[in-house]
Amino acid sequence: MPLQVDDIQGIILYGYGHLRHACFLLLGISEPSATRAWLKTLDVLSGRFNREEVDRCLNIAFTSGGLRRLGLSDDLMTEFSTEFREGMGATPHRQRILGDSDESSPDNWRWGGPGTPEPHVLLMLYARNEIALSELLSEQQSRFATAGLTPLAQLETTWLPQEKEHFGFRDGLSTTGIEGFHNNTSPANTIAAGEFVLGYLNAYGQYTQRPLVDQSRDPIGLLPHAPEDSTRGDLGMNGSYLVFRQLSQDVTSFWRYCDEQTRQRDGASNAAARTRLAAKMVGRWPGGAPLVKSPEKDDPAFSGENDFLYHAEGDVHGLKCPIGAHIRRTNPRDSLEPDPGSDRSIEVGKRHRVIRRGRAYGAPVVSSMDAADVLAAGDRAGERGRHFLCFNTHIGRQFEFIQHTWVNNPGFDGLYDDDDPLIGDRGGSYGKTAGTFTIQADPVRTRVTGMPRFVQVRGGAYFFMPGIRALRFLGSL
Amino acid sequence: MPHQEALTVIARIKPGQVPALKAVLGTIADHGERWVIVPFAQLANVHFARFVVFDETTDLDGNPLSPQLALMTNVDAPLDGHLNELATVCGAGLDRVFEYCEEYPASAGRSPATRLSFLRDHQVAARAFYVNRQGRTVRQIVGEEELRRAINSHLDSTEFSRHPPEAVRRSIVSFVGDRSDLAWALHPAERPALTWRIAEVIHQIGIALLAIVFLPLLLLVSPVLVFLLRRHEKRDVPDTSRAPADSVRRLRADEDYWVQNQVTAVGLFKPGLFRLVLATAILQLTDYAVRHIYNRGSLSGLSSIHFARWVSLDGRRRLFFTSNYDGSLESYMDDFIDKAAWGLNAIFSSGDGFPRTCFLFCGGITDEKAYKRFLPTRQAQSQVWYSAYPHLTTKNVANNAAIREGLSGQMSEEDTRTWLRRFGVGNQLPESGLIARIFDSIRWDRLCRCK
Repeated sequence: MPLQVDDIQGIILYGYGHLRHACFLLLGISEPSATRAWLKTLDVLSGRFNREEVDRCLNIAFTSGGLRRLGLSDDLMTEFSTEFREGMGATPHRQRILGDSDESSPDNWRWGGPGTPEPHVLLMLYARNEIALSELLSEQQSRFATAGLTPLAQLETTWLPQEKEHFGFRDGLSTTGIEGFHNNTSPANTIAAGEFVLGYLNAYGQYTQRPLVDQSRDPIGLLPHAPEDSTRGDLGMNGSYLVFRQLSQDVTSFWRYCDEQTRQRDGASNAAARTRLAAKMVGRWPGGAPLVKSPEKDDPAFSGENDFLYHAEGDVHGLKCPIGAHIRRTNPRDSLEPDPGSDRSIEVGKRHRVIRRGRAYGAPVVSSMDAADVLAAGDRAGERGRHFLCFNTHIGRQFEFIQHTWVNNPGFDGLYDDDDPLIGDRGGSYGKTAGTFTIQADPVRTRVTGMPRFVQVRGGAYFFMPGIRALRFLGSL
Repeated sequence: MPHQEALTVIARIKPGQVPALKAVLGTIADHGERWVIVPFAQLANVHFARFVVFDETTDLDGNPLSPQLALMTNVDAPLDGHLNELATVCGAGLDRVFEYCEEYPASAGRSPATRLSFLRDHQVAARAFYVNRQGRTVRQIVGEEELRRAINSHLDSTEFSRHPPEAVRRSIVSFVGDRSDLAWALHPAERPALTWRIAEVIHQIGIALLAIVFLPLLLLVSPVLVFLLRRHEKRDVPDTSRAPADSVRRLRADEDYWVQNQVTAVGLFKPGLFRLVLATAILQLTDYAVRHIYNRGSLSGLSSIHFARWVSLDGRRRLFFTSNYDGSLESYMDDFIDKAAWGLNAIFSSGDGFPRTCFLFCGGITDEKAYKRFLPTRQAQSQVWYSAYPHLTTKNVANNAAIREGLSGQMSEEDTRTWLRRFGVGNQLPESGLIARIFDSIRWDRLCRCK
């Protein structure tokens, strides 16, 4: 079945690369009836739009608390995913799964944690320039009072130079395509629609769990019909779960660590070795070239490359791209069982993918994004990081699996004490000390140990981003 | 070097004593890595241990099934030595737990001897017992991890990048030889006792011969069996209920403290003679397969299980399954769907309420939604769980063994290179046997189609 593009919110299908100014508003619902009325009139961008014509747009998502507040009944709520219903920071078990301990514990979160008011609505604002964004923002804000909404937090974003993230690496290269819709991604990176949009066949060829509604509860037929049961309305269809985590990045600490570990005998910095270590950690060079394609240098010819495998290209042992490198563990491609290097390995891997739609926030340490300048700048005030946003339809099998089984797992693919060098939690979620990074090499590996945690969680929540018809249904509850 | 055994002791809990017993047992979440009441860590040969309370329930006819307590351990043989240790070293702890059970000696009559006879009287044999790899003792596993850590520190202390592989290996071997606490590793690990190995081979060949003798007969009646199977499968009633949210939350609260986790699942057998015979045959085959076919660290491509067992309960009305595995329950379920659905379907489709199968091997848990909803409805809480090495994955254990093995004997340059890579990552598993590889190459999910 082709995607119903005009019923899917645009941000699920596109990153809005032409709308580089964005901000995210967290809102509480104080008067549900007013909020429902507001929802009916809200102009939300669908996936069917013309880039040239859209200078600004809105998308919207709800926490489970938000849906309850809007009046969705308990029996429908139980049909949403458990992870979504419970919430990101809700149980000690989920903290272990996500690695949200110590400084990153939900108790310390600025939003989404137990100590702050529960966000109900996430309103996402995108615009082509700063002025358009501030106009859009003030227009929206002026409606909050009558819409029964209480602003809880306003999360700003930045578009960094050279398409990079704060550590200084080109970002957004590993894109996930939807089968039958995106036609510019490699076969290994093209995944069944149902993995990202509810109401379509997933990577198992099945429909993912979601709430279906009896006709009596949708008398005027606002909802699309469920594909597997046309007598029922499909509240999930064309919707998706949005994982939102505010991740602060300690850029100075990252480069200081790489610098200290690669000093020469006389104590002088070794810029080439420093960059090489950092590249080994990431799995790509700062310019974007993947190590498996270009193991020795930051080759601009490969800067946007995403069509590669590990085993099939001979890097079985991690001699080019280390086994524990960030990009090899967040997307192992053909590395893992069953039968590494085979189509079956890729097929199984496709059950654990997400579509990333995040944005950076905070000013870069230095606008050159260069390590030497970062180190020369010393301690810079202010916070920076990434609003990590991703879409999936089975939070437990996709986002949480990646986070627990791959990112934070010190035993990933036969390792021992190595969590993700870039974003790992250093063993906390596995009850041990990790923070080792092993660089496979002949005749024998080298390794660095005692890595501090470079990324901390400052806030987060699971949201449901409904299809546009489902949004109208929620407005009419 | 001894092989590994599974001890199961099942006792009926005295009427009304379940809450008091559970209070003594507490939960995994309460205990952390060590539980003080029964100090399994003080026993020399225990890999894993657990206590599980099977709550009172009813069978399919509505007859009550009384609450029971199971003690399970995975130990190095001989089992007798382990039972003796339990009755002495852990005697006081066993008293505190089993005094809530029927037939346990009264306080005046408790001694190592009476405890021992209680354990023996209530011991139940597993219907099938899986060991990731037979022959690795607790001492070996823990010692080889210390060995690997020490060698790694040695590798950190020297710059080896320009050395030929042989020189690096020589340096490692001489480092280990110089350390009096590690020099044991220069000798290869002993294999399980010859008598045990001979008995295993006899079992392997004997059962295979028996199967060959009966194969023509089986083939002759197979159309009838397949017809009956399909008729039963079509009439099966899958349980589509969802486990209560609070019981799921309680189960999850016990999970993911370390890389290793545990699961216990219990269910009633489906009724009828056909299902009884089928279940018995499948469990026999399972026992055979895990002993002789899937015995090199991989269960049909699934390599994360350390130990697992299947045990009958209440005569043969119920079956429970326990396993000690690496990773989260979510990853465990995904692993089964992705890699070993056919085997799991064949075994557990004998269980009442199981997601509908198709020709025994297909369907079933390949319905992700149905499987992930069903499993929590059949889970029992393991109140106490112990692992002697909770931070080691099966791959870690296997890699450490290969590192130790490589310290002795001659090695070609290529083998030396491969061996040295084990200090970088340990993801190279030994190849499965021929029959296992044949099974693994079958795309079971494409074999059968049912409406």
